[in-house]
Amino acid sequence: MRTILTLVRKDFINFFRNKAAVSLTFAVPFVLIWLFGMVFGVNRKDSGPTGIPLAVVNASANPAANRLVEALQKEKTFKLITTRKNADGTERPLREDDLTPLMRDNQFRFAVVIPADLFSEEKLGLHLKVYTNPRNEIETQLVNGILQKTIFSNVPQLLGQAVLARGRGYVGAERLDRFNQVVADNVARTFGGDAATIKQDIAQGNFGGGLIERATGGSEGETNLLGQVIRVETVQVAGQNVKSPAATRIVGGWAMQFLLFALSGAATALFYERDHGIFHRILAGPVGRAQILWSKFVYGVCIGLLQLVVLFIAGRILYGIDIEHHFGLLLVMCLFAAAACTAFGMLLASITATQEAASGLATFVILLMCAVGGAWFPVTLMPEFIQQFSKLTLVYWSMEGFSQVLWAGASFVELLPILGILGGMTAAVMAFSVWRFNRGQIFG
Amino acid sequence: MLTLDDVTKRYGTLTALDGVSLQIERGECFGLLGPNGAGKSTLMSLVAGLRAPDIGRLTLDGQPLDAAHPAVRANLGLVPQHIALYPRLSAEQNLQIFGQLYGLGRAVLRERITESLEAMQLADRRHDLVQTFSGGMQRRLNIVASLLHRPQLLLCDEPTVGVDPQSRNAIFEFLERLNREGLTIIYSTHYMEEATRLCSRIGIIDHGRIHALGTLDELLLQLPFEEEIRFPLEASTRALARQLADSGVVTESGDFYQFRPRAGYRLSGFYALTESLGLPARLFTSQRPTLEALFLHLTGRQLRE
Repeated sequence: MRTILTLVRKDFINFFRNKAAVSLTFAVPFVLIWLFGMVFGVNRKDSGPTGIPLAVVNASANPAANRLVEALQKEKTFKLITTRKNADGTERPLREDDLTPLMRDNQFRFAVVIPADLFSEEKLGLHLKVYTNPRNEIETQLVNGILQKTIFSNVPQLLGQAVLARGRGYVGAERLDRFNQVVADNVARTFGGDAATIKQDIAQGNFGGGLIERATGGSEGETNLLGQVIRVETVQVAGQNVKSPAATRIVGGWAMQFLLFALSGAATALFYERDHGIFHRILAGPVGRAQILWSKFVYGVCIGLLQLVVLFIAGRILYGIDIEHHFGLLLVMCLFAAAACTAFGMLLASITATQEAASGLATFVILLMCAVGGAWFPVTLMPEFIQQFSKLTLVYWSMEGFSQVLWAGASFVELLPILGILGGMTAAVMAFSVWRFNRGQIFG
Repeated sequence: MLTLDDVTKRYGTLTALDGVSLQIERGECFGLLGPNGAGKSTLMSLVAGLRAPDIGRLTLDGQPLDAAHPAVRANLGLVPQHIALYPRLSAEQNLQIFGQLYGLGRAVLRERITESLEAMQLADRRHDLVQTFSGGMQRRLNIVASLLHRPQLLLCDEPTVGVDPQSRNAIFEFLERLNREGLTIIYSTHYMEEATRLCSRIGIIDHGRIHALGTLDELLLQLPFEEEIRFPLEASTRALARQLADSGVVTESGDFYQFRPRAGYRLSGFYALTESLGLPARLFTSQRPTLEALFLHLTGRQLRE
């Protein structure tokens, strides 16, 4: 034991003398966590993308079309472009024929044209034209989704007007007006209010609950038609008390990625000691191979634990992740994750011949494990066979563990299955690595 | 003290050591001389217990030298071919770690570190990082790190590779002093000058076999000549070199020819030949043959090939 502690002490002194290693292990992840947080808007209350350039050409004279433009302007996702500069520096409204050249010039990738025939008496629904340059599929889907949401949520009367226009086409303007009058009279009679005002609302396409609210003297008209048609009640069963949900969800994945890189780097330092004859010097004395390998394992676990603690403290400072209330279990989880990552690093060192080969393989396998294990995006979005494969990675189980502790507030007993899986992985990988080390070239 | 009994070591199809038997006495400085790839490092690693022989047996004072007897290995000190130190640690920290691995207590270790660093003229740099040391200083520290536990047998595997003359001298003086004080040393090298200066007995090794073994005088007696003759490599001596080829071995060494007569050749014949070619006597110098000549004689190739 004394020998192992001496070797571990040596590794620690060596590590803290290596400024590059210290900064890569602690400072760089700290900065990256801060940067990623900024990029993904972890600290913002209203998360999501902002400022995507969206060109809008409004060729309709309908007042509802102007309201649609106003609604799009209010949507933080978009930065609206409605004008174009002439050669003499003056500005003019954007025209439809401007769009294609400007999009090819990459000035913007999305444009909405509100045509003069916004509503048609021949067809039901709105007529909108969307120009896209779908260079990024995710961005395109996101923009389309938000565009639709904005239209239906903010300007529901557009839909109403479209229905009216179609109705006008079927039954004629006079009969439709009569129908609206009957409806307005009935609403006024049943719920109260002024029949003329109600009819005016109907004529503007306002069929939402706001119509009745206004009729009954409600203070504010409800405009979200969808919100009234489908009422979804959400019951959150876990993570209700999580202080920083966005950061808490993703911190485990980040931490595992940094940890894997740091510990595989630490394990590949075995090659330095081999190449410089240090193992020969040590093994020529009363020190065994097992003691060297155990010292590396203990050192790796300690460094990993330290790094995870520093990263979670960074998460606490930067994003307010609640670690105080889960500190004990978090520490246990960090210990098991660090042990699994150290074993992984030892495995890499045991199956490769040089430090360069180990580093190359480490980069490949770590990125693969992080992608498949769910460190970058949810596993549930992946194909089913990959979801099965992800369960073979230590990233998946470590993230599950961190999530159980920080998100679900699991107890030690509830955490035991995950700890068991990580412990089992560590034991199996270490056993294989030691077997390989004893048959490989690492000890010369 | 150390006995190697018919030791063979193979790496796949390559036989690195082939039936080597050796007996090294206490207090001896034994030189293992041979070119790169001769089997010197393999022999050292077997003695150090880093590898096990395929055939044969190694014992130190009658105790087997193998992985199952780690306590026996505590009597050994290995100076590896590489500078086996941690460059980001100070000289003192390096020595502390290696000393602690041998179970030395703090007070004893402190005392021995001071003593050893002074002997190697490194005392004033004890707190400096090893990476700031010159190559020679690192080599000296490399040796000190192997001696803290006071081994009975020191294995030096080419410990002066890339060392400047001053540091080499310091290393030699230090090893000579240790040897005088009773330390047994096995010194492997491909520099015959080092083996000649340091070692009381030398083994010449090539292709995993010990070709000759003995003191310098005993080894040189195996040569068929007592002296070798050098003369300048120039147009006037070219004819002489050609004619001497029948009487021994003529090799070119830089700006010189080196003539090693074959057995029974009389030097009077040589001088008669030079006179007949009109070459003045001042061109010729004779000297005692070296281990280089012996190696060439035994193996048919140069030590540094």
